Amino acid sequence: MTDGDYDYLIKLLALGDSGVGKTTLLYRYTDNKFNPKFITTVGIDFREKRVVYNSQGSSGSPGKAFKVHLQLWDTAGQERFRSLTTAFFRDAMGFLLMFDLTSQQSFLNVRNWMSQLQANAYCENPDIVLIGNKADLSDQREVNEREAKELADKYSIPYFETSAATGQNVDKAVETLLDLIMKRMEQCVDKSQISDTANGGSSGKLVSSKSDEKKCAC
Amino acid sequence: MERRELRGRDLGGQAHRQEKGVGFQLEVVMEAVDLSFLSEVERDFIIQVLQRDEELRKVEERRIRRLKNELLDIRRKGAKRGSQRYSERTCARCQQSLGRISPKANTCRGCNHLVCRDCRSYSADSCWRCKVCAKEAELKKSTGDWFYDQRLHRFAPRLGSDIIRISLRRKPQANKRETASQALLQKAQRNDPQRSSEAARKSPQQQRKEPRLISDSSELRDPKSDTESTENMSLDGLRPISGPTSARSSPRQEKMKSLNPSGSKVSSLTLPISSRETPHSDSDSEALGETQGAVSADENEILFKKNPRRIQRPSEYTKSVIDLRPEDAVNESGILGDRSKSVPGLNVEAEEEEEDIDNLVEIHRRRAARSSLRSGTSLSTLGSLASIYSEAGDFGNINVTGEIAFSLSYEEKTQALFIHVKECRHLAYADEVKKRSNPYVKTYLLPDKSRQGKRKTTIKRNTVNPLYNELLKYEIKKSLLLTRTLQFSVWHHDRFGRNNFLGEVDVAMDAWNFNNQLEECLPLHGKNLADAAAPQDKGELVVSLKFVPPAKHLGTGNGKKGKKEEGGELQVWIKEAKNLTAAKSGGTSDSFVKGYLLPLRNKTTKKKTPVVKKSLNPHYNHTLVYNKISAEQLSHICLELTVWDREPLSSNDFLGGVRLGVGNGMSNGEAVEWMDSTGEEINLWQKMCKYPGSWAEGTLPLRATMTKLRP
Repeated sequence: MTDGDYDYLIKLLALGDSGVGKTTLLYRYTDNKFNPKFITTVGIDFREKRVVYNSQGSSGSPGKAFKVHLQLWDTAGQERFRSLTTAFFRDAMGFLLMFDLTSQQSFLNVRNWMSQLQANAYCENPDIVLIGNKADLSDQREVNEREAKELADKYSIPYFETSAATGQNVDKAVETLLDLIMKRMEQCVDKSQISDTANGGSSGKLVSSKSDEKKCAC
Repeated sequence: MERRELRGRDLGGQAHRQEKGVGFQLEVVMEAVDLSFLSEVERDFIIQVLQRDEELRKVEERRIRRLKNELLDIRRKGAKRGSQRYSERTCARCQQSLGRISPKANTCRGCNHLVCRDCRSYSADSCWRCKVCAKEAELKKSTGDWFYDQRLHRFAPRLGSDIIRISLRRKPQANKRETASQALLQKAQRNDPQRSSEAARKSPQQQRKEPRLISDSSELRDPKSDTESTENMSLDGLRPISGPTSARSSPRQEKMKSLNPSGSKVSSLTLPISSRETPHSDSDSEALGETQGAVSADENEILFKKNPRRIQRPSEYTKSVIDLRPEDAVNESGILGDRSKSVPGLNVEAEEEEEDIDNLVEIHRRRAARSSLRSGTSLSTLGSLASIYSEAGDFGNINVTGEIAFSLSYEEKTQALFIHVKECRHLAYADEVKKRSNPYVKTYLLPDKSRQGKRKTTIKRNTVNPLYNELLKYEIKKSLLLTRTLQFSVWHHDRFGRNNFLGEVDVAMDAWNFNNQLEECLPLHGKNLADAAAPQDKGELVVSLKFVPPAKHLGTGNGKKGKKEEGGELQVWIKEAKNLTAAKSGGTSDSFVKGYLLPLRNKTTKKKTPVVKKSLNPHYNHTLVYNKISAEQLSHICLELTVWDREPLSSNDFLGGVRLGVGNGMSNGEAVEWMDSTGEEINLWQKMCKYPGSWAEGTLPLRATMTKLRP
């Protein structure tokens, strides 16, 4: 299904307790369908989707559209796959950290997942969105919006209440994450070139100043 | 989920190699991941996911390679590098004089060069960078380098890994990009008890392959930013673009890998244990063989007739010689006295079956299809495979049945291996209708597939139970022999057409008990992917092309031939080849490159480089020049470069080739088979056409056969 006809390959990863709806959410996002059955994910899986990203960037040319190929990694929430799934954290550029709005426990575990991320992702503060799923089951709700929002604020990450069943906020959550990543990417590249100018008085220093830049990248 | 069963379990081989690279940080991480808790089903499931990921990764690798070549292009246009040995008052990119300008306002904030207005790229906030810096920044984003560099920083490789990496065969640049998925895939294969025995069986071959890789200094590369390494490379004009292209995976090859079925592996796996310990049950294999045979007999017959590969006569080519200096062309076809004229598949030669990768693929495809059918999966699998390889050519293949009986002895005194080929039993019919096979047995001591390493029995006519009782002899040191794999292959001899493959069996020499001189009887199996892939990987050729248009030609003082503006000049700088196939018994080749400018495949366009002896990574550094070529002609001609092993007393061995052209199958309004360039070949040619007067460099995967690539 993939040709090389895209501008960016962006890798996202969904994580969270077992049964919070990671697979279903991704299925909703990529195929716009809902599968109410619970089929536990074996270890890892991924889905793909091609989207168009419009940069309204500070430094990129404004309004330019890019073709983005999304690889959405789905991980098993079950503890027994933990060593396997965390190994995949390092390869993702952004994370959909999910919990179940109808399960207080899954919300409490968000903190654990956060520390897992901090330890295993490509950097200590990767781009994350917090997602409270199953918003359609309002009668079974155990986590209220305020406490979830507070937690997200504590980590300075966006928070969304989604429903894979209705599709509510699903696209928005993923798109927000993509946007964060694309912005970080711009910054990263921009910063590195500016730092060149700052360090390199003459072009002869080009090579050495370039290697310095690695250390301060974001 | 059609990819499910296509993907190889064969990565065991790679994993095996990877083991040497303990320095890999990711490797270390992955060691900590214990997969033993997974059930067989779960494991297979995960492997499928990983294999899907690998497909995506290959697409990505190709894309990145393309992007980096673009950067090199832009960079090449501006001569100024970091060295400041140029006039202060010229633009670093286009060399235009800048006149009196303020240096401050006209210095690129990326590279600190003075740059004219035309060579800038403005961003939204009206900041600007020179075009090279802008492209670099763009590349950093689009290749994902921004991410990988950061990740690299966090998970810094352990000290010393750089050194170890040299000994690693697999693309060092993938180091930075290596993902958990990738490492895990390899690990998963490695840890499989079944497959690890397979890996062990293969190990002598792989060990032998190792040493030559170490000498490949081009693989020693900066693990950091690829973007930067490209910078370094272009600073040093003489070094080849070994960059991302050194990940030696042509698209075709990748397809090959993806074709490896789980089924074929299993059949070869059973070999060392079951067939040796327990006497092979004839009835079993026969029954199996016959059902398979019955299914595809008719199909075979039809396919044979439709066989798209016809042997091309040279005359078919010279016929199309019309436009390019026709006066020379007319009678040239008769003068093809040159030994190396025979590009396999183009000329009559078609010497031996084993060179024909397409055939192997086809056989392989059938096996894949069969095994997937057996495991009850959808027919769409078959369909997609067929579509990939319908272009590959030869549909002639046979369902392998039967077995071979032989014994081995090693004579210390003369340092010789004697292979007593006793007989074969229950071979398949090469001709199902006439129930005929004319089988003979051929052996190699792999990895040596050279002509010198080939032994054959006589041909037995019209039998599927041929009795040979013949001795084949190899003079080889015992220590060396133990690193080899003895390969028996059985072929049907067809006096008028192509020989047909009837089956093969590999025997690892290190595991062989030479004290036991009893007769062994091993079942034959089809080509497995490892073998099919090996000859496909023919290495790479690094070439730079330049087209000097007529006017400029005189202006640059390059025209020492003093030809008047009859046409431009096509300069072909053959830089080097990498990882060529060893054609000589010592594991080397004495190679040279030959060029033809099609449609003229004759002396007028034939040019050769000198022979570089005893090297699989030869540096030719030789330029072939074709003149009297107009810019319009560039889309009608095709540069064919073939690499040959020089064999003074016999015919030269074909090692691989490329065709550079527009690849649209047309020349001067006529459909021609040779205008079949693909991928990098087209890119390079277009690059050259686009920037006349400057070098376009490319690293091209060598084709294993010069038969037409497209239908």
